Amino acid sequence: MRRGWLVAVAMLAPAALRSQDSTRPAPVGVRVGITYTPGTRPSVAVLPVATASLDSVRAILLRDLDYSDRFEVLLPPPTVAMQGGAPNYPGLTALGTDLAVAVVGAGGPGGDVDVQLHDVRAGSVRNHLSLQLPAGGEALRAAVHRVADEVVRWATGTPGVAATAILFVSDGRLWRVDPDGAGLANVPAAGRPTLSPAWSPDGRTVAYTAFVPGGRPLVLQDLASGSREVVPGTEYGVNITPEFSPDGRRLAYAHGDENGTDVYLYDVARHCCVTRLTVGRYYDNLSPTWSPDGQRLAFVSSRPGSPQLYVMSADGSGQEALARFDYGATGQSNGPEWSPDGQAIAFHREVGGVPQVFVLDLATRAVRQITGEGRNEDPTWAPDGRHLAFASTRGGVRQLWIVDLETGRMRPLAATGGARLPAWSPRRTFLTEAR
Amino acid sequence: MMARLWRAGPAVVFLAVACSKPPAPAPTTPVAAAPDLARAADSIAAARRDSAAAAARADSLARAERERVRADSVRMSVQQVSADTAPKGAPAGLAAADSALLAEPIHFDYDRADIGATDQAQLDRKVAVLAAHARLEIRIAGNCDERGSTEYNLALGERRAAAAKRYLAAHGVAATRVEIVSYGKEHPLDPGHSEGAWAKNRRDDFVVTKGAR
Repeated sequence: MRRGWLVAVAMLAPAALRSQDSTRPAPVGVRVGITYTPGTRPSVAVLPVATASLDSVRAILLRDLDYSDRFEVLLPPPTVAMQGGAPNYPGLTALGTDLAVAVVGAGGPGGDVDVQLHDVRAGSVRNHLSLQLPAGGEALRAAVHRVADEVVRWATGTPGVAATAILFVSDGRLWRVDPDGAGLANVPAAGRPTLSPAWSPDGRTVAYTAFVPGGRPLVLQDLASGSREVVPGTEYGVNITPEFSPDGRRLAYAHGDENGTDVYLYDVARHCCVTRLTVGRYYDNLSPTWSPDGQRLAFVSSRPGSPQLYVMSADGSGQEALARFDYGATGQSNGPEWSPDGQAIAFHREVGGVPQVFVLDLATRAVRQITGEGRNEDPTWAPDGRHLAFASTRGGVRQLWIVDLETGRMRPLAATGGARLPAWSPRRTFLTEAR
Repeated sequence: MMARLWRAGPAVVFLAVACSKPPAPAPTTPVAAAPDLARAADSIAAARRDSAAAAARADSLARAERERVRADSVRMSVQQVSADTAPKGAPAGLAAADSALLAEPIHFDYDRADIGATDQAQLDRKVAVLAAHARLEIRIAGNCDERGSTEYNLALGERRAAAAKRYLAAHGVAATRVEIVSYGKEHPLDPGHSEGAWAKNRRDDFVVTKGAR
């Protein structure tokens, strides 16, 4: 199932890229219509489709655009939106619509469609993409997610994150889900529980901790084939919090034994050469997270008495406290993840004994509390650097939620209860398959 | 069992030659010009050196082999989706009281891995049992309450198990007889969310893994 879906995306993608090339070039230096400013979002109408068989495509697209948190999404009735089978620009303008998305095609899923972004005020098609949609199932949803991301790019200059996936742990097992809450599936993995999943930058491999008889090894698992290997040296002790370097060549992780838990590097590319980066004495160093340039690692250290955020160079030198804390007053700080743009670090910190999601601004070293209701843990960045997924009990049971840091909007991700330790995939997950 | 004894045979013989026998008494009367005897003494000394080296080599080979087998088994179990299994129940052959004493958990303060006076006394009683049953091997599992992150608690659990192992080792229990593991906050005894539940969950569990019969 899973493999078939990836292959289908792989076949779709080159076609999509080619057809995009055939799009008439946008005028250089001119961005039609929209400048994004926080609080003032462009409104985009998703136009009615001509055939009922495209309703599901429209529904997926609509949800993806809504979840991008970049637009006010409108669903105008056909009588207002359309005139003679074409967008009714004056009617849409009267509704206050800036942009309109149309899915045009006679065949429905499995047939050829043209996806168009209309500039309503200019009264013209701004971008379009011709493609053949898969007939249904995961392949269709994945294809529409890609289209949605492209529409977001046309409208805002940066692509959306609909065509990504989130790995997480629930009931000790590994799961994946799309950011719109669909496509929930178990990922067969070694061990129970399986903990701390982490994506490789190419989206092909997941690293995780496996509780197996006799050990807590780190496992590298190929997502397509399911084949697994144990990171050498992690057959012993406790091995946790793996994270691939941005170039995918190294794996930073924490290895704990009788002498404490410390941060190590494993050379994934050369299958060798474990280097130790920290030396704790009766305290722990763990949860390394790479800066996007691969030069630095933020991590958690309990050297001040309780776990707090630290940073060091990727060779282990220059270790220093990262976020200010007051000894004995600031709660435990854990689970750091460096943002894709390199400017912030998301983590969770206990406030009155309850974990809350925080974001540290690296330029000012100021922290901002993002959540306040329920227990909120283990934030992970979307590749757009503005959304975070995290585990929260705000809805009564612990499950995954997504927050948009720009608008503050929060939504639950329809996923299994008890979910924790989410890891948001890189954007390239689906693109690499096309190369 | 037979096979194991058989394999252990040569090492035992080497050891007997190398160590168990008291050193050959030095001749009380110097025997002048007795080349035969001198040669014989030389060759005995050489044989002793060789056998001692062989025993040491066999020992380190056996240790390396044990570690390799363990690493292999970890790698093997990663290849299949499997559940963690820990031996349960009182080990046969060990007196029920001793076995209960060994299994008694020790407890920790919040976010701490140091062992308090009561628990030290408890560990002392374990030391006595372990001293009386030299073939016993145990596993110490460190556990945490639900507060703090999943991952930090795995490190903390490891530290708690290591603290107990260090204590036992400092009181004469060979480190090779004690293995440690961390369950983090994955195996709470009490699923509650009160301080009472948390206090029960911040613990080291002790399991006999070998030598009970």
